[in-house]
Amino acid sequence: MKKLEARHFAFLGLFLVVTLTMLLNIKLDMKASPYTQALYNYIEFLPEGSTLIVSFDHEASSLPEIRPIATAVLRHAFRKKHKLIGVSLLAEGTLIGYRLMRETAGEHGAEYGTDYVYLGFRPQYIAAILAMGESIEKTYPQDYLGNPYGQFELLKGVQNYDDIAAVVSIADGSLTTHWIEYGQARYGVRVVGAVTAAMVTTYDPYLASGQMYAMMGGLRGAAEYEKLIGKDGGGARGMLAQSSAHIYVILLIVLGNIAYFSSRRTKGSG
Amino acid sequence: MALPSWFNAETLATLLASIISILIVVYTTYYRRKDREFRVRTISGLSAVEDAIGRATEMARPVLYTPGWGGDIQRPTTIASMNILSHVAEKTAGYDCRLVYPTHDPVIMAVAQEVVKESYTRVGFPDRYRSDDISYVSSSQFGYAAAVDGLISRLKPASIFLLGTFEAESLILAETGNSINAIQIAGTDSTIQLSFFIVACDYTLIGEEVFAASGYLSGDRSILASVKAQDIMKVLIALFVLAAVVWSTVETLAGQSLSEWWVF
Amino acid sequence: MGRKFPLAVCFLFGVVMFIQYFSQSTAARNLNQTILDYWQIVFAFTLIVGVFSFFKNNVTHISRGADRPYRVVGLIGFCSMPILALIWGIKADTPFMWMFENVQAPMQSTVFALLAFFVASASFRGFRARSLPAAVLLISALLMLLSRSNIGGYFSSGLPEVANWVRDYPSMAARRAILIGIGLGSLTTSLRVIIGIERTWLGGEK
Repeated sequence: MKKLEARHFAFLGLFLVVTLTMLLNIKLDMKASPYTQALYNYIEFLPEGSTLIVSFDHEASSLPEIRPIATAVLRHAFRKKHKLIGVSLLAEGTLIGYRLMRETAGEHGAEYGTDYVYLGFRPQYIAAILAMGESIEKTYPQDYLGNPYGQFELLKGVQNYDDIAAVVSIADGSLTTHWIEYGQARYGVRVVGAVTAAMVTTYDPYLASGQMYAMMGGLRGAAEYEKLIGKDGGGARGMLAQSSAHIYVILLIVLGNIAYFSSRRTKGSG
Repeated sequence: MALPSWFNAETLATLLASIISILIVVYTTYYRRKDREFRVRTISGLSAVEDAIGRATEMARPVLYTPGWGGDIQRPTTIASMNILSHVAEKTAGYDCRLVYPTHDPVIMAVAQEVVKESYTRVGFPDRYRSDDISYVSSSQFGYAAAVDGLISRLKPASIFLLGTFEAESLILAETGNSINAIQIAGTDSTIQLSFFIVACDYTLIGEEVFAASGYLSGDRSILASVKAQDIMKVLIALFVLAAVVWSTVETLAGQSLSEWWVF
Repeated sequence: MGRKFPLAVCFLFGVVMFIQYFSQSTAARNLNQTILDYWQIVFAFTLIVGVFSFFKNNVTHISRGADRPYRVVGLIGFCSMPILALIWGIKADTPFMWMFENVQAPMQSTVFALLAFFVASASFRGFRARSLPAAVLLISALLMLLSRSNIGGYFSSGLPEVANWVRDYPSMAARRAILIGIGLGSLTTSLRVIIGIERTWLGGEK
């Protein structure tokens, strides 16, 4: 049998810590960060009925983290009666995006075609972003369900980004960067992000420079947003597990340093 | 002076910056390179390339090279990575060391096959080239990560090159490589993934070093000339930022905007 | 001729796309739209290369006996999804979607979740105060972890502010510098491709 190494114990410890905290039912008190608050304020104070593109730029793998993030933003947008156009730049995000939109729309009595439309997936994300800047209808002649673009009340008068208040990119990778580099830089569309925790620091420079207008990051951002909209969506529960994992990693770092310095002392004295 | 009606005035600053950049690149590439020596500082990650391949040869294990999930062939980082691959392939061909190249993109696979084949032919060992070692595994991010992880676990390569555009799969690959004690040389243009590589890999090329790598390894004067062009542009950007800071400070002290078009 | 034609096409499209970026005329926008449409069409065809290559590569390895169990599983997954899609379609409540939601998505989430375990092992091994810069990195990491874990505020109300300062200033400055370097590297590489002195993308001719 393979000999167990220190890292195997580290794995086991993390598994136990996260599993045990998931079983606990503790509510963490969250205070919204300025970033999350900025996104909330943007959607809250947009004139009612503004049109937003919600882009599901993620794969199926990040669903546990993406679901609370996306649900929080969609709930807020539907509650404020904004018109939503759903798209996806990654094939795997397509069905997830459709389901999330349908679920949250159902909660708020929003109707397909009048309050929201789902256009679905287009390959080659850079080409798709650029093409929508010229004409959304030519990029998506039909919606996800195969209905012609011109059939929908919501889409009448929506030609390109000039008719869109902002693009909300829900991403687990760097696709939001492409929205900024091509959609924002080339066509001037406002980009806001709702991204996984691992990607938060990637977007900091864009946020500081104003190229990205606002951002919600990770389960923490989702938990904060849930508190702001007053509706639980799983973010707070996930945040508990994440916080415990962070504390566990801090302990590992401390342990690693103790081991390092004690081995140095042993070598020094030997 | 009035701009022509077809011209988008909002892009004027971009046009000026582009023209200046193009002129600098063309100047360094076609004029300056003729009579000047280009010196690039020592990049330890690149100096270790030969040792890494030598180690794999001595241990009779393969070298694994992968460009990450985040790029496609039109991405400059992927092209820079191809240049490094070309150099690595020449060495593996010379040492008769197996080179395995899994990728997530069919076009990258096709180009990599040609690059490696050409390198093997150039050093006189076309018979050592194995096209099925350069393979497309999956377009899905974690499908790709699982496939490359599987290859690392089964083949136990002695040296791993992670050079290209990486996303969340970076640490999964780097830690798996670390677990089999492979020498790992990584480099990416994804700032967030750099931190993972720095912790988990032996050598990490930071951002622009990936672009300089092909010139560094091959000594190709046209590539080295463009590295020089980057340095000139960096100095210009630094001067511009400095001017903007001074101007902004002056405006703050004056308590009013001093220009309509020079605004920060 | 073999290399000259693609180089000429690359140069032509590089220059045309560069010029059209600065134009707001209808002709330029239509041209842009057309090129983008064709770009997407060409991409769809490249997938065929991938599908064919994956199939051929795995069959070859299976016949050689190399990694047979893994490759058989890979091929089963590879064949079963399109078959399910062809027979029952890909709409909701079809076998394809059942497989997507109950097999593919959980498998991918599992691989993604490995990241957390690897973060733990990398932190244990990597964050050691071997030198002054390593100690600075270590302290920054601890600050970030504490502030992002929602318990930072219990130690000190100023801790999240300090962490945000580290993130917004020293860390951001370094990232911006790296981004500028990457941007310039991308720019010069792209120009070399358009001018035709960078030919690796054609398959290795230097």
